[in-house]
Amino acid sequence: MANNIRILNKCIPWYPSSYLLPRISGLLQAREYSRPTSFPDYFQNPVFRKEDQAKLIESSELSKIAALPMKPPAVYETSSVYHDPLVNKLINHVMEMGKKQLARSLVEKSFENIKRAQIERYHLATTPEAKAKIELDPKKILHKAIENAKPLLQLQPIKRGGITYQVPGPITEKRSLFLAIKWLLEATYEKERTVHFPKQFAWELLDAANNTGKVVKRKQDLHRLCEANRAYAHYRWQ
Amino acid sequence: MLSRSWRHLCRRYSQAVTFRTTENSPSQHNEKQEGLFYTMNPDLCKQLFGHGGFPKSFQLQTKTFTETAIMVRQPALDLMNCIRASDMDKPVIRYVLYGEKGTGKSLTIAHLLHYVHEEGYLIVHVPWVSEWLRRVPRHKEMSNSQTREGLVDLPLDAAAWLIHFKSQNQTLLKSGDLKISKDYVWSKRETTEAGAPLAALVEHGISRVKYACDVVDALVDELKILSTNKQCKTFVAIDGFNSFFYPLTRLNTPTKKKVKPEEVTLTNSFLKLTNNDWSNGAIVVTADQLAVPDDHQESYLPRYLLYKKGFEHLDPFVPIEVGRYNEKEFLCCAEYYRDRLWLRGPKEIETELKFTSACNPYRFMEQCAPL
Repeated sequence: MANNIRILNKCIPWYPSSYLLPRISGLLQAREYSRPTSFPDYFQNPVFRKEDQAKLIESSELSKIAALPMKPPAVYETSSVYHDPLVNKLINHVMEMGKKQLARSLVEKSFENIKRAQIERYHLATTPEAKAKIELDPKKILHKAIENAKPLLQLQPIKRGGITYQVPGPITEKRSLFLAIKWLLEATYEKERTVHFPKQFAWELLDAANNTGKVVKRKQDLHRLCEANRAYAHYRWQ
Repeated sequence: MLSRSWRHLCRRYSQAVTFRTTENSPSQHNEKQEGLFYTMNPDLCKQLFGHGGFPKSFQLQTKTFTETAIMVRQPALDLMNCIRASDMDKPVIRYVLYGEKGTGKSLTIAHLLHYVHEEGYLIVHVPWVSEWLRRVPRHKEMSNSQTREGLVDLPLDAAAWLIHFKSQNQTLLKSGDLKISKDYVWSKRETTEAGAPLAALVEHGISRVKYACDVVDALVDELKILSTNKQCKTFVAIDGFNSFFYPLTRLNTPTKKKVKPEEVTLTNSFLKLTNNDWSNGAIVVTADQLAVPDDHQESYLPRYLLYKKGFEHLDPFVPIEVGRYNEKEFLCCAEYYRDRLWLRGPKEIETELKFTSACNPYRFMEQCAPL
């Protein structure tokens, strides 16, 4: 049986999967492997969230993909209530040398610090309105901080007539997310030696969520520079 | 079918649970309050645990929650009943608390301390034995004992402990009914005479740190005599007791010789206190995996942790297991965390957390932290 499948696999030409099968994208958490894996191209990314599965069932797409081969979900792709793709992304950015457990514990520790700070603030607040204003969920704070740190424009060096101009232009969603996380981490790494990462990261996130702090300033500086260089904008297409 | 059972589970968890009891005096606690949280008075808390006694993580929690709330659990209730029912004329009964890491042995002791404080016991409480034997800060004060040959003193630790002892027994020491039975000669000029109040002895140890270890030793002798003579009731609580029996400590003498626990004067004093050659009191010790290094943490059972030596030293004792949360305790705890804003989100998560933390109190607390 297994042998047959192997032969069958060999028969299928190695086209990119989009030619072969309609890829169910959009809904999924696409996981692209950087290195060649044991999974051939036509293997689909797994649908591991219950919500996503429900959506598939609703749109009656499930029957289409039920028989397709699927990659197994990775350990971090869970159907837990707490699963958050952005947090996973952040953990991967914090990670060094593949030490994921350490990275995860650092991020979780900084969430804990945020929570403690916010709960303390909550208890100090006297009026119910002031209390209602305080955001206690660290994940929401993370989302807000990253939203505030995302740049809307970027500068591209373009060479025209022997001179390199810094030309402002639009930025893709992916790159702006990358820059936001990178800036947040770079701001965190500029710390005193005695302050630990989780503490500093918590402060940076809280600052960014309040639209203040180093990261937001960096974004605004970039925007200002883009505004100053708007005269070069036509180099993008000329 | 699955969705229905899921819904059932959710409904069961969504029921409002009373998680707090207004009965704040531990002597009134009984089976009715089991699994509920009671709040400790902040002043009393400072008096009893100002110099250690709570685990560090719990200390942090009290700050975040702005209150000190302890769950009334079965082991503590059992122990209270035992202490109440025991015959005080007989030699003291020794209780050994054991259990997995993070199940609440130290907090059970804290609850008991509150209880015995109310009952008017004299408290001898060692917050964490490993603090003396296994934790080596940059400047650990060590000296060779003057009175006992070949033994090592930890004067600063002993003095710190005496301060702890003094603050825990403020009222009893102030009344001055407790008198010393014999003369103690510290040096040519310094003596503590027979008939002086116990507080004077403690004060001497705090002000003359050099003699702190000898004072502790004298104090142990005096306490035994006092409680056997029915002048006071003594409650001994030692957390991480098995640290006394691990073959080596992390201490080094100035000549780079490894120190064994039995070569430390404090060890000898407290082992003397845990002998059952006195009466009118109770002894509660814990056998804790965290008190010994990683290579001796395979089991949490007292025989393994205490070694043969410690087991025979304590024998006969009453073992009391502190276990993980049961169904009701878990629900109460989750509800309490929700009340304190420590846990948020939909109700289903509690089932998830229950599985992932395996109802271990510490792990449950930790897993709630980043949520």
